[in-house]
Amino acid sequence: MRISVLSIPVYDQQQALDFYTEKLGFIKKLDVPLGEGNRWLTVVSKDDQEGTQIVLEPAPVHFEPAKVFQSALFEAGIPWTQFDSDDVEEEYNQLIDRGVEFSIKPTVMGTVKIAVFNDTCGNYIQMVEQL
Amino acid sequence: MSFYESEIKRIAKNIYGNQGQVNLAVAIKRFIDQNFEKDLNLDLLSSSQFVSKYHLIRLFKKYYGQTPRQYLIGVRIQKAKAHLKKGESVTETCFAVGFESLGSFSILFKNRVGMSPMKFRKEQLSRSNSDHGL
Repeated sequence: MRISVLSIPVYDQQQALDFYTEKLGFIKKLDVPLGEGNRWLTVVSKDDQEGTQIVLEPAPVHFEPAKVFQSALFEAGIPWTQFDSDDVEEEYNQLIDRGVEFSIKPTVMGTVKIAVFNDTCGNYIQMVEQL
Repeated sequence: MSFYESEIKRIAKNIYGNQGQVNLAVAIKRFIDQNFEKDLNLDLLSSSQFVSKYHLIRLFKKYYGQTPRQYLIGVRIQKAKAHLKKGESVTETCFAVGFESLGSFSILFKNRVGMSPMKFRKEQLSRSNSDHGL
């Protein structure tokens, strides 16, 4: 078995696609219509397009417990998903320029530097740089 | 301050309280990052950071979750993938990223990536060709 797909729950798939491609610079990989306005919609990292895909998954729209869980994480400021970065400071500056909102600015914690931003679709996402 | 922020501050205080140790672990990692293609061994690492070999391994594992050796192999495999994607030969790649024998490079690569370096290179090249062709 291989790890090829992970999910991020989003309130609005189109809005999520715009954010993950235009703001974060990911690339749309698969877009399969599933009826009733739902899509099997995945993005990949630009530098690793054959790597792990993220499904922008409309769980909170259709499954109440998912929404409850996601909202509780958001209210507590907890990022459930994190991405690696070679340079968190530089990435932070670029994302700020594109209007992305951060809940935690670049902060050194021991052997890592982290920053946390709002993906506008119900999630906080953490960036991590190994120092 | 959010629940998350106060939690990570509390946890950081617990696990990263010893700044001297943290600095040493980071210095070891940087040394590996900057010298991965050289003949790196524990003697060299420990003399470069003025610590005993045993302490060095224990410390690195404590902060990075794997041994320096495991980390070094990971870095070399990542770099090797980049070389192969550019179309360099398996032999060139092997020595460029610091492996001393083709045999051990191929076995490690296959274990970690799931296919031999030869096959990886071929797939990458045909992929970039078909991107242009279709």
